[in-house]
Amino acid sequence: MLNDVFLVPEEFYFPAISISDYQKAYAPFYPNFDHAMLDRILTEFELRKDNNLQRLSHGQKKKFLIAFALSTRCRLLVLDEPTNGLDIPSKSLFRKILAGSLGEDQLVVISTHQVKDVENLIDKIIMLDKGKVIFQQTIAEISQKVCFISGTSEDVKGAIYSEAVPGGYRLMMPNGHAETEVDIELLFNAITKGIKIG
Amino acid sequence: MVNTMETNNSFSFQRFTMLCKQSFIINKKLIGISLAGFAGTLFILLMFSQFQAHFSNWGYKEYRITFFFLFFTLGVIYSSLSFPAFRSKEKSMAFLMLPASATEKFVFEFLSRIVVFILLMPLYFWLIATFEGLVVHSFVPELTNYKFSFNMVGKGFLSVVKDGKFEFWAMILVIQGILFVFIAPFTGASHFSKSPLLKTLFAFSMIIAGYGFYVYLLIKGLNLEGVHPVNDRVLFIHNTDGALLFFGILSTAINLSLISIAYFRLKEKEA
Repeated sequence: MLNDVFLVPEEFYFPAISISDYQKAYAPFYPNFDHAMLDRILTEFELRKDNNLQRLSHGQKKKFLIAFALSTRCRLLVLDEPTNGLDIPSKSLFRKILAGSLGEDQLVVISTHQVKDVENLIDKIIMLDKGKVIFQQTIAEISQKVCFISGTSEDVKGAIYSEAVPGGYRLMMPNGHAETEVDIELLFNAITKGIKIG
Repeated sequence: MVNTMETNNSFSFQRFTMLCKQSFIINKKLIGISLAGFAGTLFILLMFSQFQAHFSNWGYKEYRITFFFLFFTLGVIYSSLSFPAFRSKEKSMAFLMLPASATEKFVFEFLSRIVVFILLMPLYFWLIATFEGLVVHSFVPELTNYKFSFNMVGKGFLSVVKDGKFEFWAMILVIQGILFVFIAPFTGASHFSKSPLLKTLFAFSMIIAGYGFYVYLLIKGLNLEGVHPVNDRVLFIHNTDGALLFFGILSTAINLSLISIAYFRLKEKEA
């Protein structure tokens, strides 16, 4: 049922009404809507309820839509490029709010090209190339098999995959090193170049 | 919090009511402006027309012309604005993701764009025309024929239904004819995302012209001009009553088909 699914599209439309009117018009469709949560997130995003939605900037509209999406408490949230249009402080706030607002029974699917923005939020990665799933593993599974470090040209020999970056190399190494954060961008480049992990 | 929403997937009055409320909240300003604009325009239009007629030759015939002109013109424009969400990709997405079934959304569009207009527009016209008549009469007493009445507007319009045993079908034909004027642009609006009214008019013109051309070719090609079949060779239309029955059923079928096309277009978009 659609009342348990909320989509935050990359491009969206809002009617020319205030946030509070939008809440009155749309919230009743979502039986688990959390009005207190919406108020809290709006405050964190510095949005006022009397703001007219069509007069907001693209980034502010996006923040409102994310706030509304989280407040619906739908079991499935689909976020398409959620950080597009957000400034750097808002991206960080978005990560904090998303991590702190989700319940145990909620699933969030994030579709993004800005992998750095959501790196710390995700626990399963699905990579698509030309519409086909080319990779599907959890962060835990990836971390067990490989690690991501910075190194010099000498370290390249032992790496599964490497890329030159200013000041050295980014390396994807077989595990054996300490567990590191998954560098999704490097992982994606490796996978699209045909490197297999596990 | 416990999920208390009805789980009927095809039609729920609870969700339908929410849809009406949602539409009102979003459009209340536009509705207010439109009603005020219509009232002001009609008031001025009636006063100007009466002024042109020197406030003496104005009567039911003029009221009737004004009423039917506005009823059909505004009705066609208004119903051609149905499914406003289909005018852009972003609006479509928001509309289709709204947690209400396609049936609820369709019924809401049909009621708000056609039924409500047909019921309320005459009432609103009556209010404004009566008010305008009273105002003008108080300043210009020579305008005596100022009481607008639907009895007079309807006089003669449905007279065809009063004779013969098939008056029911004549009434159906008239009603379906009126409904067709609204349903055709409604269906067009469900189909065409840009300039729906123009495209609908063009599509219907093409269908009618194509059919006319086909009949013309048939008559010319088979040399049917001189053929006058005797009554018992005509398949089923033998007299006026038969014609009323046939066209009454045909017009009903056309309108139902158009409504179905609009509904399945919505279902198709949803899929």
